[in-house]
This record gives sequence, C-alpha cells and structure tokens, in this order.
Amino acid sequence: MRQYILRRLALAVPTLFLVSVIVFGLMRLMPGDVATRMVEGHGYAKTLDALRRDLGLDRPVHVQYVEWIGNIVLHGDFGRSYWTRQPILEEFVRRFPVTLELALLTILVSVVIGVVVGILSAVRQDSVSDYVGRILAILALSIPYFGLAVVVVVVPSIYFKWTPVWTYVAFTADPLQNLKIMLVPALVFGVTRAGPIMRIMRSALLDVLRQEYIRTAWSKGLSERTIVLRHALKNAMIPVISLIGLQMPLYIGGSVIIESIFRLPGVGLFFFEALGKLDYPVVQSVNLIIAAMVVGLNLAIDLSYAFLDPRIRYR
Amino acid sequence: MSVATPPIDATLPRRTAPARSRPWYLDVWVQMVRRKPLGTAGGVIVLVMLAAAVGAEWISPYGFAQTSLRERFIAMNGSHWLGTDQLGRDLLTRLIYGARISLYVGFGAVLLGSLLATAIGILSAYFGGRVDMLVQRGVDAWMAFPPLLLLMSIMSLVGPSVWNITVVLGVAFGIQNSRVVRGVALGIKENTYIESARAMGSSHTAIAVRHILPNTLPTIIVVATTGLSTVILTEASLSFLGLGVPPPYPTWGGMLSLAGLDHMYQAPWLAIWPAVALSLAVFGFNMLGDGLRDLLDPRLKGG
Repeated sequence: MRQYILRRLALAVPTLFLVSVIVFGLMRLMPGDVATRMVEGHGYAKTLDALRRDLGLDRPVHVQYVEWIGNIVLHGDFGRSYWTRQPILEEFVRRFPVTLELALLTILVSVVIGVVVGILSAVRQDSVSDYVGRILAILALSIPYFGLAVVVVVVPSIYFKWTPVWTYVAFTADPLQNLKIMLVPALVFGVTRAGPIMRIMRSALLDVLRQEYIRTAWSKGLSERTIVLRHALKNAMIPVISLIGLQMPLYIGGSVIIESIFRLPGVGLFFFEALGKLDYPVVQSVNLIIAAMVVGLNLAIDLSYAFLDPRIRYR
Repeated sequence: MSVATPPIDATLPRRTAPARSRPWYLDVWVQMVRRKPLGTAGGVIVLVMLAAAVGAEWISPYGFAQTSLRERFIAMNGSHWLGTDQLGRDLLTRLIYGARISLYVGFGAVLLGSLLATAIGILSAYFGGRVDMLVQRGVDAWMAFPPLLLLMSIMSLVGPSVWNITVVLGVAFGIQNSRVVRGVALGIKENTYIESARAMGSSHTAIAVRHILPNTLPTIIVVATTGLSTVILTEASLSFLGLGVPPPYPTWGGMLSLAGLDHMYQAPWLAIWPAVALSLAVFGFNMLGDGLRDLLDPRLKGG
C-alpha cells in the first residue's frame, strides 16, 4: 500500500511539471499583453518599457518560468498580482472556503438526488418510477446550469417577488445566513449535476443486485430494505464515487460561472476577474493550484477504493 | 450399427441470410428509427436545428440585428412570437440565428477535434513505446485542468471570435478524446491481419490509414456525436462569460449572459427562451449520441 502511494505520488510530479509548462507557455506565447493594458487607460507606469522592467516581463521567457516555478517549489511563494501587488496564495486561501463550501453542498445535493432516484429506478426496473427517474436524469443532463441559474434569479423575483439573497456572509460569521445564501446556487448547480450520478447509480445497482451474494441474502429471508441499503448499496457506490472524482474539474470550472452569477467571493470569481485584467501570475498560479488539487484528489479517490472494496488490494 | 442418413430434401427452402444490402452507415439510421425512439426524437430535434441554421435568412421574420426602439420589451404577440429585447430585436429571429452559430462552432470544433483525436490516438497507439509514453503524459497534464478554466484562460488571451472559439474548442476536444481513439486502436493493432499486412511489406502509413483507421471509425463517430452536446454547451458557457462569440452575433449563451441581467428583470422571456433552446439542443444531441453509441459501439455503453 505504502509503495503504491509513493509510486502514484512520483507519477504526479511529471504531470504537474507539464501542467506548469502548459499554463505558463499559454500565457506568454498567446497574443494579448498585460503591460499595454496596464499603461493605457490605467496609468500604472510612464512608459511600457518601464513597466515591463518593473514586472520582469523584459527578461527571456525561460528565465521568467524558472523564477516562477522556483519560488513555488522552494519557498511556496506563488507570486503577486500585477495589478494589486497582493500575494496570490493569501488571496486564494482566503477565498477557497467559499468555493469549497459551494462544491461540497453541490455534491451533497447531486448525490442525494442522484442516489435516491437511482435506487428507486433500479429497484423497480422498467416500472413507471424507473421511467420517470430516467427521464428526469436526461432532463437534468440537458439543462445548462447557467441557464437555470439565470432563470432562477430572474423569474421568482418577477412573479413571486422573491429574490435570492445577494450579499455574501461568511459561514463563521453567521452560519444560518450563510447557508441561506449558498442554498440556491448549490441547488441549481446540484440538480443539473445529479443526472449522471443517477444514471451510474442505477446501472451499478442493477449490476450488483444480480450477483450471487444478493441471492443468498434473499434466501436468508432478509428484508428488501436491508438487502438494498446494507448489502448492495455499498458496492454499487464505487462507480458513483469515481464519477464524482472524475467530475471534480467540472464542479470547479462551473463554480466560476455560479460564483459570478450569485456574486459569491470565491476562487472562481477571483480567477475570472484576473482573466479580465490579463493578470498573468494570478491566472497561472490559480490554474496550477487547482490542477494540483485535481491530481491529488484523483489519487485520494483511487486509495479510497481500497477501503470501500476489500477485494481491491495494492501491492 | 449404422446410422441411416436421411435423404437430402431438395424441396426444403434454402436458408439464406436476410438481404442486407444496406451499408452499415445507412443501416444504423433504419435501426435507430425502429429500436430507439429517444434517439430518433433527438435526431428530429437536430434536423430541425440544422434546418433553422441553414435557412435562417428565409425562416426568420426579421434581421438578427434589426432594431426597433418603438418595439422594445414586447411580450409574445402576433408579430413577435417570442417577444423582443431591450433594442426591439425579435427574439425568435435571434434564436434561429443562434442555432446557426451554435452549429457552426459545434460542428467545426468537433470536425477539427475528431481529426486531431484520430491522428493523435492512432499515432500514439500504433508507434507505442516512447512516443506513446510522451504523448500520453501530455494528455494527462492537459486533463488535469478543469476544462472550463483552461479554455477561459486561452480565450481571454486570443480574444473572442467565432474562428478562435472553434479552433480552441476543437483542439481541446481532440486532445481529450485522443485517449478513447488510442484505446480502440491499441486493441485493433493486436489483430492478426495487421501482422499479416506488415509481413506483406505494407508501410506504416498504409497500415494506419487502410487497416486501423476504418476500424476505429465507428468509435470516432460515436465520440463525435456524443461530444457535440458538450462542445455546444461549452461554447454557450464561454459566450455567457463574454469569452466566446462576440456581439452582434446572437448566440444562446450570449443572450443569457449577465450583461443583460438588468433587462431580464423587465422581460423574463429574454432569459427563458434561450435557456429552453439550449436545453433542447443539448437534449437532442445527447439522445442522438446515446442512440448511435448503443447501435454502433456497445463497448462504450455508459450508465
């Protein structure tokens, strides 16, 4: 087990190296120049050359890359924003709880809906409830979350005179108010993500319910509830968990849009605002941090299989 | 003991295979209509969208940028079936032209992406070894990014335009799906007929193009059709953020975007109809893709 973890960690290093090269290369090789934008209209410096020298943009690209990645690896320093001169990691850490809370609530919503509907669908295969469940899943798959979000923001306020709460309050300041604010975004996002979970849940459970040990459980005279919830569900959850892991990048990418619609001051909004200003260091470092998180999460999920399914053993 | 062999009954009707003169790419559609009602429904939606996109000039009652300040924020009525927006532009017209942009970008990106996925996938699988190793680590790194973040980063640098977003989405689609093509090509590579082709002195190119490519084609078609809905949805998300197709072109994502939020409070149909159009399109492509996948490549069958 320990050796397996070490091997997986070692494999993650070249991946993350390539990730850093890709994101840095994209930022520098593509057209679009932050310095021009900062001088024109914002007056950050007298001349372009002065600003470039100030930001270190006048040096060769590989020197800039080595400096950026060197500071991260050696000092844990992810650089500063060109515009605000604030350290990026500090801002990221300050905003991350918002994004994490949104992601966790979204996953909670989509798992609860997906698993419940999936179980109902699988247990009564080809019944009316199965068809209703499957059609709901297809609908959920087809509705774009930002479309639903805009409709949910606009329509109730017109017809029911009810508007989702806008101003963000931290969980630590007022937990109840905070949950009230997060509820609508998490519901909107979670509902549209429940479709795939429901489909995987249904097919996995159908698969498990046909296995021998379930027949044994029936012949022991156990109740259906016990068989489905205690015996079958645990094994059927494995594909669901790996799906959530695979979809983690989608949850994070989607949070950019959800945060911008509901004005949640999370990492997504930070990233989006930095993009608008072509703030290279912020875009690079946030991309890199998030990619590292995705890689780490996938590893954690692979390891969690060992606990969920005793048949999987690693050497 | 001898076993009497029954005399051959010459009158027995000869067992013949049912006449299947149709090639597989036509047969699929017949099977679809017969066996896959949802897939057929998806196909119909896609056809309607195609017709709207191709004939936008003839179908739509107004021009997509035709403003009429006297007719702002009209709810549905006889002359504007779905109402008008803040500049008095007809919403139905803009939705029809929006279908055109969605399909332009969708088909363009998927076509480019499929070519790229095929090339990368087959090359990586066929040559194996170090080439495969290098290419696959690159793909790994690319897949570690949340796709939307990476695409947003690129689009904000190259700037919004129809051409840019098509190319960017196409390249992303190609890299991501090259892995599926590679998987299938790896299996095909092990067949005896590849070995015999090599023994007969076929060149690498000939083997890749004449033997491996045709056999990966069903997979590529499935990947392309199921991918269309994702690409259309991604284009809409980017346009929604103002990073996709720039105005004045009407796009469904752009019509929903936050820039118009204040107007939507006055005219909720401005939010509802583009969302419905987008959902219908995604539904159509999803169902068509699912149906095609079941018929063409049962191995890829998902949940």
